[in-house]
Amino acid sequence: MSQYWMTVAILLPIIGGILVKVIPFPNQKIMKIYLECVMVVTSLLVFLLAWNRPEGTLEVVHFMQGLSISFRIDGMSMVFSVLIAVLWPLAMLYSFEYMEREQHQRVFFLFYSVTYGVTLGIAYASDMLSMYFFYELLTLVTVPLIMHSLSRQAIHATRKYLYYSLGGAAFALIGIVFLMVYGSQLDFVLGGVLDLAKAGEKKQVLLVVYLIACLGFGVKAAMFPMGSWLPDAGVAPTPVTALLHAVAVVKAGVFAIIRLTYYSFGTDFLRGTWVQAVVMALAMFSVVYGCTRAVMERHIKRRLAYSTISNLSYIIFSAMIMTPLGLVGALTHMVCHAVMKICSFLCAGAIMHQTGKTFIDDLNGYAKKMPVVFGCFLVSALGLMGVPGLAGFISKWNIAQAAVDSGRVQAYLGIGCLLISAFLTSIYMMSIVFRAYFPGKEFHYEELGEIRDPSWRMCVPLVLFAAGVAGLGLGSAPLVRFFTDVANGLY
Amino acid sequence: MKAGILLLNMCFPVLAGLMMLQGKREYTGKKLARRSLAAMVIAACFLVWNLTGDPLSLHLCSLGKDLPVYFHVDAIGKLFASVVTLVWILAICFAGEYMKKEQDQKRFFGFFLIVYGVLMGLCYAGNLITFYLFYEMMTLTTVPLVLHTRTREAITAGMKYLLYSLSGAYLVLFSTYMLNRYTTSLDFTPGGTLDLAAAEGHTTLILVCACLMILGFGVKAGMFPMHGWLSTAHPVAPAPASAVLSGVIVKMGVLGAIRVVYEIIGPEVIRGTWVQTVWLTLSLITVFMGSMLAYREKILKKRLAYSTVSQISYILFGLALLQPQALTGSLLHVVFHACIKSCLFLCAGAVIFCTGKTRTDQLTGIGKEMPVTIWCYTIASLALTGIPPASGFISKWYLAEGALSSGTSVFAVLGPVVLLISALLTAGYLLPVSMKGFLPGKEFDYAHLIRKEANLAMLIPVSMLSLLALLLGIFCGPLVQYVEKIVEVML
Repeated sequence: MSQYWMTVAILLPIIGGILVKVIPFPNQKIMKIYLECVMVVTSLLVFLLAWNRPEGTLEVVHFMQGLSISFRIDGMSMVFSVLIAVLWPLAMLYSFEYMEREQHQRVFFLFYSVTYGVTLGIAYASDMLSMYFFYELLTLVTVPLIMHSLSRQAIHATRKYLYYSLGGAAFALIGIVFLMVYGSQLDFVLGGVLDLAKAGEKKQVLLVVYLIACLGFGVKAAMFPMGSWLPDAGVAPTPVTALLHAVAVVKAGVFAIIRLTYYSFGTDFLRGTWVQAVVMALAMFSVVYGCTRAVMERHIKRRLAYSTISNLSYIIFSAMIMTPLGLVGALTHMVCHAVMKICSFLCAGAIMHQTGKTFIDDLNGYAKKMPVVFGCFLVSALGLMGVPGLAGFISKWNIAQAAVDSGRVQAYLGIGCLLISAFLTSIYMMSIVFRAYFPGKEFHYEELGEIRDPSWRMCVPLVLFAAGVAGLGLGSAPLVRFFTDVANGLY
Repeated sequence: MKAGILLLNMCFPVLAGLMMLQGKREYTGKKLARRSLAAMVIAACFLVWNLTGDPLSLHLCSLGKDLPVYFHVDAIGKLFASVVTLVWILAICFAGEYMKKEQDQKRFFGFFLIVYGVLMGLCYAGNLITFYLFYEMMTLTTVPLVLHTRTREAITAGMKYLLYSLSGAYLVLFSTYMLNRYTTSLDFTPGGTLDLAAAEGHTTLILVCACLMILGFGVKAGMFPMHGWLSTAHPVAPAPASAVLSGVIVKMGVLGAIRVVYEIIGPEVIRGTWVQTVWLTLSLITVFMGSMLAYREKILKKRLAYSTVSQISYILFGLALLQPQALTGSLLHVVFHACIKSCLFLCAGAVIFCTGKTRTDQLTGIGKEMPVTIWCYTIASLALTGIPPASGFISKWYLAEGALSSGTSVFAVLGPVVLLISALLTAGYLLPVSMKGFLPGKEFDYAHLIRKEANLAMLIPVSMLSLLALLLGIFCGPLVQYVEKIVEVML
């Protein structure tokens, strides 16, 4: 396929989104059909691009010597772009019904659509600077989505998100500058681009710079101690929380860390240094910290957000093992967690939408009224716990195999953290499930009133994601084989 | 063909259970019980088909890279599967009558069948991955049985059961991750599959893994220090469920320990190390402590649950000795204890059903009210105490003999002593019920005595189990030979 299709894939949802405000749609229904079409066409294009990969780099804008915005599709791009291309149309479908009661729908859909294009930009960026450009853009276009309700709380959360993200990106920029000086180029190459002759004498400085950049990107990946914006950002409408704060935005942070580690500084340079130990330790701490906070949290979306913090750090931990197997583990969990968490978030959204309840203590007995939603929630909860046969088990297995294989004692401890976290996950997920399914003897179902499952537009994505959790758990072999190829640089 | 039968043996009960859960019409308990019984008989036919003929292996599918789901029908699996099926059919007979007084019978029978299918999978599992898969499924599907009555107490007990079991399962999972690296394969092979070249220099790590495995499976088997759930969870379930929980499901922890110690790590690796010492110590502590707790307990079902704690550790003690005769004793005790403890729990259930009495001090004169039930109770109690020629005597004999000739310095003597003390305590906590029941004393009000004997649907299972407890001891020849053949292969 021609390289120019990459630009089309990025621009299509951006322009398509802006047109929502421009075209005077006669009614909501037509606008929604139009939007869904844009999403589906973009996703099909992304699939085609991944299937029939264009070779080489496409330079779109040229700033000056060595600085440009350019796109290229390599293995990592394929994984990330296909992942979001699968999720976005379904989340959009879900949001049609969810947003029906909200105001300013057009603005919402505009930015929801634009974000898709920007995220694709991050996936396709061929060098550090292009990725940085889209990374900053992602922060900006998601701002209106978070403060959608315009409540005090929402504005406060948005401000926090903005400061955290921009601050993090600024730190990341330091890393990019150093890369420009000490690297041979800014393009992503598996194994790193550092000019070892130049870098050798400044090794300690570069390690510090790496740490700074890594933590900078770690803000979006919600690593401890920079993750507190994520639970607060839960005030956004659920489609945003589900898709952006469980997948697109936060995984962009993880994606950037992987790019920085594997494709820029290079694992050979970093492996065995104190930096690896520090970041790994931070990730391990976040894993346990996120789960512990999730157990303490009573608000359903905040609980899931803390769970996200913990799971994102699984990915970072696995990436920090800095072996091909570690990258495989990271990619597997990136995909598996995306499907599981979007499923559980959308279920939480459906519960909130249908019942108006946001706290876990109020969910007694609803499973009988909403069997589909709670069935899907149960599947995703079991998946997150790591029950074999579901997605979470596979990714944990891959991460653990990488950790065992590395032979580092710290990695063994990491497996311990993973399992402690799995145990805590079973506490915070199963306590919801128990309440909903087994409300107790003296409970009367009549008290719940006329509550039922939402319409097909909400249920279809839920069921598909739940099926995805099971599908990934039962037949992940081809996917993992592909990830192994990616990690070994075959793509 | 044979592979199909194997799969049917697992899938048919699960499907039957699911159909029962999903059925829209409200059936009476009797109808449900009849249907479950029919399903069980069909499943038992599949089982018999499986038992005859050569060992059978079946690669079903692969969950991911290097994660095969593999079944292998071997002698020990057949032994466990037969015990499970026997107890299950009798428990369902009993449940048809007992569950009349309970609600949600559909859920009870549905999950009862599903758990049976899962247990068959567990017995036939041919590698550690498959075993773990079914082990987790067993935990999850038994939770609804535990919290069946939906009282506050029952739901708390269900949660406690779930979390204890999961924590054990995660310990097992941790070691599985590690062992996958240091074994040639995770298939169960008598003598172990440790990769000696890879394991060179990692002895400590492997021993730690072995210890974690034992502790992890020990959770299910109620081994100190993780026995807390058993006395909470088993008594709150309805009597037929407690019978299978105590009689059969705890044995799956034993099966896990056998599989891992004798068929993955290998007994030679553990012999004489600190792991064996720890295991022996913990199991002896549990034997003594369980008996003591049972002795002090006033509620009959709780007393029986503590008795299970103590008796299962007899089995674990035998396994830990790593000695052929002790292993024979353990496997025999698995069979005997399954019959005896199910019988005792069903007797307790019959007493609750007919008289509503739960505490032992209320049971004065119960033998006059329900003579047949209490006779069965007495026979089973004598068998558990180990009075020859009843079955408990045979297994304890082998255990004691194995301990004396095991060559483990202190434990060779200490073991039999503790077993004897515990046997005395067993008599002390079980027989007073019979004595007071049949000989209520002079002050007993014979004038108001009403016969409250349970009806046939309850008496048949109870009397069959108690007869088995007696006859298996008298005619133990074929069983002992069968078990000795298993042991020959393993040690």
